[in-house]
Amino acid sequence: MSVKIDKDKCIFCGACVGVCPVMALRLNNDRIEWDADKCIYCGNCEKICPANAIKVEKK
Amino acid sequence: MMTDYDVIVVGAGPAGSIAAREAAKKGAKTLLIERKKEIGAPVRCGEGIGVEHIKGMDIELTKNDYASVINGARLVSPDLKNNITVRTEQSKGYVLDRKSFDKHLAMEAGRAGADVMVKTEVIDVIKDKDNKVKGVKVVSGILEASSDHTNNDVYDITCNVLIAADGAESRVARMAGVGINTIRPLSEYDSGYEYEMVNVDCDDLIELYFSNEYAPRGYLWIFPKGKDSANVGVGIGGDKSDNGIFAKKYLDEWIKGPMHERFKHAQPVAIKGGLIPVGSSLDRLVADGFMVIGTAAHQVDPIHGGGIGLAMKSGLMAGAVAGDAINNNDYSESFLKRFENMWNEKLGPKLKKRLLLRKAVEQLNDNDFNSIFNTLDDNDINLLLEGKYKGVALKVLKNRPQLLKSLKALIV
Repeated sequence: MSVKIDKDKCIFCGACVGVCPVMALRLNNDRIEWDADKCIYCGNCEKICPANAIKVEKK
Repeated sequence: MMTDYDVIVVGAGPAGSIAAREAAKKGAKTLLIERKKEIGAPVRCGEGIGVEHIKGMDIELTKNDYASVINGARLVSPDLKNNITVRTEQSKGYVLDRKSFDKHLAMEAGRAGADVMVKTEVIDVIKDKDNKVKGVKVVSGILEASSDHTNNDVYDITCNVLIAADGAESRVARMAGVGINTIRPLSEYDSGYEYEMVNVDCDDLIELYFSNEYAPRGYLWIFPKGKDSANVGVGIGGDKSDNGIFAKKYLDEWIKGPMHERFKHAQPVAIKGGLIPVGSSLDRLVADGFMVIGTAAHQVDPIHGGGIGLAMKSGLMAGAVAGDAINNNDYSESFLKRFENMWNEKLGPKLKKRLLLRKAVEQLNDNDFNSIFNTLDDNDINLLLEGKYKGVALKVLKNRPQLLKSLKALIV
């Protein structure tokens, strides 16, 4: 399982950070950092992203 | 116990900078922390604000702070065939230049005596052995400026009152672990995407376009920044956004589709976007030694999604209460609750009423909207903006009785 953030599409707005219930995402200037240890793969980040830059791979 | 500061404010947006200014004005030793290296950049919003939100804030707007003066609003029907233009005192405002405006507010905090640290990120909230908030752990890129903390880029800064003003990401309240949960269901957020564009003919009105087809549970906007430039954006309901269905796609299709004529020469010069918590303010805004304000506390207008004005109001109240707390040597939740009570008293009923209108409007489909635009005039829109729903709802129902269920809440 993993969360893939497409750096080409991402506009670093932090929308995903705001809806992540476990604070597994962090906006760091021009980078979204994802913490695999915290992530619960709920999919909120993928759904809310205004730029379609996040894919949650559950397999 | 001696602390490094009386008050620490995290986030130098409109809420945080005003809060820091007010706390400093009350004599509190105040620190304003901003993660980014430049306050105000990058911009993440439409930048519109009503004139009445600037009044009473003790801010002298400079010419750099705003891009344009707005004299009203034009609402446009989904089929683009009808529009209603309102030009009232209440609909006057500015499209700000947030880069300049936000920096200006932070400067005012500095002038009032607050310390300001940019390029400094809060990575945790520290607490004492009684589990009370005692400060923040930061990573800072401006160490050389601080003689106390050499050779160590991660360190603690202590305070008696911590104010979280970190915007829609709202991580600081969650880091604090004081029982304030800032996460709501996706239906209580909007997902926004916006271009700043040139070669877009504009007049002195903000334009709002209703469309379930191109902005489900939200709207599209053109906010003029000049005669030929504008912020052009969309906000869609968080529960309408999904993998492969996203704000940018709606905006692109709208610009290239029904709005092609207007935008045929338009060129984007910036991309902006972000999360808009549109549900309603958090119920709990304070804990012992802790406050959460502005967009971090979901204090956003439920109708238009604007947050700047409410953020400043929140900052004004919270900063003053924090300053009073320091002067009274009482940082308890019960003292800080003065802020929460003040917010609920002054803005609670108004925002609740506006949420009611939003909930009703959310249930309308594009045929409903098209019909309503045929029925209503500018005076009706003014009444709605003033919170006088009943007469307008009845007028709509005369033509469209099938909306009774959706509009019922506006009649009682």
